Amino acid sequence: MTQPVLSVRNLEVEFATRRATLRAINGVSFDIAKGEVLGVVGESGAGKSVTGLAVIGLIDPPGRISGGQIELSGTRIDQLPPEEIRRVRGKRIGMIFQDPLTSLNPLYRIGDQIIETIRTHTSLSESAARQRAIDLLAEVGIPAPEKRIDGYPHEFSGGMRQRVVIALAICAEPELIIADEPTTALDVSVQAQIIALIKRLGRDHGTAVMLVTHDMGVIAETCDRVAVMYSGRIAEIGPVQDVVRNPLHPYAKGLMGAIPTLAGEDKRLVQIPGSMPRLSAIPPGCPFNPRCALAFDRCRVERPEPVRHGAQSVACHLFEPAKETAA
Amino acid sequence: MSAALIDVKNLRRVFDVSKPWLNRVLEGGHLEFLKAVDGVSFDIKRGETLALVGESGSGKTTVARMVVGLLPPTSGEVIIDGVSMTDPRQAQARRRLRRRIQMIFQDPYASLNPRFRVDAIVAEPIRAFELIQGERDIKARVGELLSLVGLHPDDGLKFPHEFSGGQRQRIAIARALASEAEFIVCDEPTSALDVSVQAQILNLMRDLQDKFGLTYLFISHNLAVVRHMASRIGVMYLGRIVEITEGRRLFDNPRMPYTKMLLGAVPDLAMSGRQRIPVKGEIPNPINPPPGCAFNPRCPLAFELCRRKTPELIDGVACHSVNNPAAAIPA
Repeated sequence: MTQPVLSVRNLEVEFATRRATLRAINGVSFDIAKGEVLGVVGESGAGKSVTGLAVIGLIDPPGRISGGQIELSGTRIDQLPPEEIRRVRGKRIGMIFQDPLTSLNPLYRIGDQIIETIRTHTSLSESAARQRAIDLLAEVGIPAPEKRIDGYPHEFSGGMRQRVVIALAICAEPELIIADEPTTALDVSVQAQIIALIKRLGRDHGTAVMLVTHDMGVIAETCDRVAVMYSGRIAEIGPVQDVVRNPLHPYAKGLMGAIPTLAGEDKRLVQIPGSMPRLSAIPPGCPFNPRCALAFDRCRVERPEPVRHGAQSVACHLFEPAKETAA
Repeated sequence: MSAALIDVKNLRRVFDVSKPWLNRVLEGGHLEFLKAVDGVSFDIKRGETLALVGESGSGKTTVARMVVGLLPPTSGEVIIDGVSMTDPRQAQARRRLRRRIQMIFQDPYASLNPRFRVDAIVAEPIRAFELIQGERDIKARVGELLSLVGLHPDDGLKFPHEFSGGQRQRIAIARALASEAEFIVCDEPTSALDVSVQAQILNLMRDLQDKFGLTYLFISHNLAVVRHMASRIGVMYLGRIVEITEGRRLFDNPRMPYTKMLLGAVPDLAMSGRQRIPVKGEIPNPINPPPGCAFNPRCPLAFELCRRKTPELIDGVACHSVNNPAAAIPA
C-alpha cells in the first residue's frame, strides 16, 4: 500500500472556555490517498470544519490540538512552529473556504493576489508568475483570463469568485486541497460547475481533496470515500456508494432518509428525534444514544470504537466484531 | 375542486437602482431600473401548496413579499379570497383578511424578537387581532400552539436564544398558526437548517396542512424539498415564471430547457450516473437582461425568435421552441 497523502490519527481538538474545556474533535482518524476525494459530512457543530482547520494548522487560541497526530506525506505537521506551518500552508496544502467574497482581499486585483501567492511559494519571476496566473485562471474556467486578471473581486460573480479562490488554492500545486463548503453559497447551476471543476482538478493533478460539506448530494456526486461525523467523532467512514446506499450507523441511516430526493416514492421523510448535543453536554457512551432508536444499555456507558465492516468502518456497538457474521 | 384562494395577476415590481441624483448629474449616469418581478400570474387553490423555485435573483422572494402585502407591487393585482390586496376601496375587507395570512421567514435567528419571551411572541397575533380575551385563556392557547408544533408549553417562558434553529422555526410556525391563518407564505423555511432538522420541519408543515387544511405558497431554491412539499411548482428565471405545472410532471417531464438544466444540476444522491446537460454560464445581470427570452444566452435550443421576442406563458411553459416547434431548430 502506498503512503497516504494525509493521515490523521486520533485527532483531538479542545477549546478552553471559562466554564469548561470543550472537546470539539474527539479521536478522529482517517487517511486520504493521492488523487482521492474524501467527503466529510455532518450537521452544524459536528466538527467537520474544525477537522479541516486542524489539518492546515489554523486552529486559533483558545482552541488547540490536544492529542493525536497529523501526517502529510509521512511528515508530521501538527506540531510545527508557526513559521514552518506557514510554509506548508498554501504550498503543500491549498484551502478553499465557503465564502468566496471574504476569502479574497477586496482592495487588490485578483491577479496581484494570485501572483503574490505564486511568488511566495515558487521562484518564478514576476512576468512568469503573471503568465502562470493567466494559465491558472483559464484552467479554472474564467473566460478572457488575460483581461479578467486585472479585475477586482467585486467585479466577479459568486461562482467566478469561487473559481478565483480555487485558482489560488492550486497555484503552488499542493498535494492536498481542503475545501470547506465550497459550493454552499452558490446556486445549483453554478454549484454543478464548481463540483465538476474540483473533480477534474483532483483527477488531472493527482491532488488529494478533503471536501467538507453538509450536502449529501454533493458528496455523492464528487467523492470516492465519505466520513460521516457526529459530535466530534466519525460515526461511519467508507466508500461513498456503500455509505449512501447501505449506511450502517443508525445516525447515517437517519441522515440518508432525512434527505428529500428528486426520484422515488413520495413518503414521509425519516425523522431523527431531537438535535445534536451541545459540546458542553455530550452524553456518556455513544454520543448518539439519546436519539438512537436501537440504543441499548452498553451504548449509554461505553463509547463505541470504530470497527471494520466490509469496506466500511463504523463506530457503533451493533457492529461489534463478534456479531459480524450475524449482521 | 374548490375555487382559487389566491389569484395573482400580472404582478410586476421594478426597483430604482440608480445612483443618487447628484452623482448622475456629475458623473453622467442614467436612471437604472431592476425588474425584479416582470409579469407573474398564478393562482393557488384552497389546501394546495404552490412552490416557486429559482436561483438567487429570480424574484421569488419579491413575489412572496408582494403576495402578503409587505411590498407594494408596481403594477398587477393580488386577490385573496375575492379581496384585492391593492385596491384602496377594499381597505376594510383587507383588514379582516390580514388575520388569515401569515408568513414564515428564512432566518429563524432574525425573525423572532430576541427581547420577547416565546409566549409573548406566539401571543402577539392573538392580542393584535383580539382573538381571545383574558390572560388565562391566551396562556392556554399559547401552550396549545406550542404543543402543536412539538415544543413544551413551559418553553413559553424562555427567550429565543435558548432554542436551536429548528426549534426557532417551530416557534415561527406556532406564531403563524396563532391567528388561525389559512394561507401561509413560507420563504425558504428550511434553508438555514440542517437536513435532519429540515426533515422534522417539513414533516411538521405537512401534518399541519393535513390537520387544518392550510394553503401554502412555498418559496425555495431546493428542488428536492419542493418536490417533497408542493402540489404545483412554478419555476422562475429573472423575474418571470418560465414553467408551471403539477409537481410530479415537472420532474418526470420538464419541458423548458432551463428547467431541464436546473434538474440536471441538482447533485444526485441516487448516483444513477445519468448523463446531465452541461450547465452553461450564469444568471445574467437583471438590470440589463438579454432581449427576448432571458434564458437565450444559456439555452442550447435558442434560435432567432428567442433573441427578439419574450415568450408568453402558454399551457404552463414560456418557451418558443416548446410552444412553436415548427419554427425551432431541431435539438
